[in-house]
Parts: sequence; structure tokens; C-alpha cells
Amino acid sequence: MTDPVVELPPDIRGEWPFPPRYARVNGWRMHYIDEGSGDPVVLLHGNPTWGFLYRAVIGPLVASGRRVVVPDMVGFGLSEKPTREQAHTLDGHTANLTALMRQLDLRRITLVCHDWGGPTGLSFAMSNPERLRALVITSTWAWPLPPAEFHMRMFPWRIMHAPLLGPYLLGRHAALAGRGVYLSVVDRERFRRTAQSAYEAVLPDPASRLLTWVWPRWIPLESGDRAVERFAWLERELGRSKLPVSIIWGREDEVFDAVTFAQRFKQLLPQAEGPHLVTGKHFLQEDSGPEIARLVIQFLDRLDLRGV
Amino acid sequence: MSTVTVVRDPKLAGTRQAFVLSEDRLGHYREFREFFTRTFDLDRVGLSQPGYVTAPSGHVYTLVFLGRSGEPFPSGVELYAVVEALEPFDEPTVDRDVWAILRWMVEGVGGAFKVEDLDATARLYRIPALGGG
Repeated sequence: MTDPVVELPPDIRGEWPFPPRYARVNGWRMHYIDEGSGDPVVLLHGNPTWGFLYRAVIGPLVASGRRVVVPDMVGFGLSEKPTREQAHTLDGHTANLTALMRQLDLRRITLVCHDWGGPTGLSFAMSNPERLRALVITSTWAWPLPPAEFHMRMFPWRIMHAPLLGPYLLGRHAALAGRGVYLSVVDRERFRRTAQSAYEAVLPDPASRLLTWVWPRWIPLESGDRAVERFAWLERELGRSKLPVSIIWGREDEVFDAVTFAQRFKQLLPQAEGPHLVTGKHFLQEDSGPEIARLVIQFLDRLDLRGV
Repeated sequence: MSTVTVVRDPKLAGTRQAFVLSEDRLGHYREFREFFTRTFDLDRVGLSQPGYVTAPSGHVYTLVFLGRSGEPFPSGVELYAVVEALEPFDEPTVDRDVWAILRWMVEGVGGAFKVEDLDATARLYRIPALGGG
């Protein structure tokens, strides 16, 4: 399994020079890259992005003497894209990541998570603590309720993924994979020029965009919603964790605002350093990739010095 | 006033059912399932026949309701355009029709779901059919 199924646009290939690797996880084909050597840093994206989100983070981390593994969630990027909603579950995605981490037998992992890379990555971390060294948390959440105010709004969020509206707006018209990311970066012109086609190219058809409207449906909004118990477990486990943590957040984050969400992580994980605020809305890696790389490297250098 | 109307027993001779859209989780918001159940009398009809509507272009659209073991019926729905059997359909026309059907659906669901919010969402994401419904 070496051939990429999705052909990247020529202007993007220069930005993403990494040889593709594939693993079989729970019956699905998962794409990942594996660069450098040293203690592993695993970079996890969310909806509707893929490893490309971290393109400005990978090089500096490798140059600093770390092994960098970046998987594409099944359903996104260069990974297989199941065509049925029932193929996607929160626990299933965590199990996909767990399968890859075990196949690569990664240990002393520093996990960097964003958006749905948070609930899935942190669930992996809490159920495999012996493989973890540290956590870096960016623009995500890890508790059942309350959700972000943004996720309670009818316009645009709940309308976007309502029955039939999700398949139409996010599927047929790529609302999230196209304009959605564009609206959630600070430097939109640079994003449009240098990155937008990379996100659109890997989700070329309505069926390939299934996960863009399925993930929002997994966000608990009320106490009886599915995944409430999983998020409650995750919050409980994180509260017990003694792992070193760094919190990095976008100053302009409009989905998981820093004042509410970064601070709640700080309360949940009082040993955490930060929050380090950088220029960025929800997709902060698009605006502050090199700055995020610098913060992660400094965090890891401090752990090295402490012999952690 | 909606330009989408429920029809019974449309003429289907010489046509094909062109797949347009599917929904695997109609009950994500239960109001949507209740709307279709009410509109097409699904508690009585069940899986015995699909629902049909006419859209602004005059095309008929078929709603095929799906059942899944262990879930309230209908669990999903598929939308098909009824078009000439051997002819390709005009995609912008079908897209405008689908948009009109979705607006009709949101009007019918009602409650917290408002057409104004749907239109605003479509404006934000520059959906081509906006204004055509």
C-alpha cells in the first residue's frame, strides 16, 4: 500500500513533500507520514482538515531531533473515506488511532491535538498512558457539557449538519471543507492562495465529505446525547492524569474561545503550562504554524532538561 | 408560500429515478423524522410506498424512506429526481429543486428550525441555489 489514492494539486505537492505511508486499522486504510528520528511527536488534526494542517510544524520538529508521525483520520485527507454514516463513531476513531500507534509501537509519545484530534487523541492517551510522554492541546474540548456556545447556535452550526441539510450543504456544496476553513483563519488571503486547495482536493466529491457533517453530530448538546458518557470518562481520566501538558490557543478562536476553553483545560490539568496565545482563529496552525512549532520544541526541550 | 407540493401516484412510465441525496440519520434531530412521518402518513404507510413531491421546475422527486433494526422508523431517507429514462438531467435545475425541497422541509419542521437561518447559512457559504427556491 504505497500509492496515494488522491492526487494532490501540483502547487500543493511542494508544500507536502512527505512520502505517503499506509496502515490497515480496523479494516480501513489509514494514511500517515513518519519523518525523522527520536522521541515521537504525533500531530492530530480534526474536521475537515488533514495532516497538511501541520505542514509548518513538521520540519522544525524533525530538525530538533524528534520523530514526527502525522496520521490522517479515516474519512479525511489521504485515508480511506467510508461512505456510510454508521462507519464513523467516536470510539471507532479512537480505536483507529490506537491501532496505528500500536502497529508503529510508538512510546514516549508527545501528542499534539486539534479539534476532533482532541477527543480521539486524548481518549487514546488516557487508555494507553504507558505510551505517552506529554500532551499539547490546541482548540478542542474534552468534557460532555456544556458545549461551545458556537455549537448551540442554530445559525450556522446546527442548520449545517441537520438531516438532509448536512449532506446538501457540507456534502454537495463543500461548505465546511471549502469556505468553512477559510472563514476560521485570520489571514484569509494567504490561506486562499496557499492552502485552501489542499483541503478541497482531498474531499473532491459529495460522498467523500461524509465525515464533515457526521463529526458535528457527535458533539453532545444535551445530557441524553450519545458520547456523553465517553466525554464524562475522558474528563474524569484527564483530571487524574499527571502527564506534562502544554496548552496553545488561538487568540481569535471563535469556536472554542480561549477564555472559556483554554482556561477550562488549565483547571482540569493544573500542571499544564500556558495557555500560550498565538495569532489564530479555530485553525490556528494555519496562521501560526512556525510559532506553534517553536512552542512545542521549547516545551519538549524543557522536559528533556528535567529528564522527563 | 411553498412551491413544493406532495403528490400521489405520479406518472412514472418512461422515467428513471436519479439519485440525488441521502440521509443515514434522519432522527439526528427528531423533529425532522416527525415531519416526514406526519407529511407522508408513515405510521400507516410504512415501507409500502415512497413519498412524492413536485418541485419548482415541475420535476417530481421521490422520497424513499429507510428502516433500520432497533431504530425508530424512518431512520433515513433517499431523494431521487424523476427524470426522462435515457436523458441526463440539468444539474443546476435539480440543485435549485433540492434547495426548494429543503426549504419546504425546514418550514414544515418548524419550531427552532427557521427558513431564515437556513437562508443565512446558505448566504454565508455561498450556496448557488440561494434565491432560486
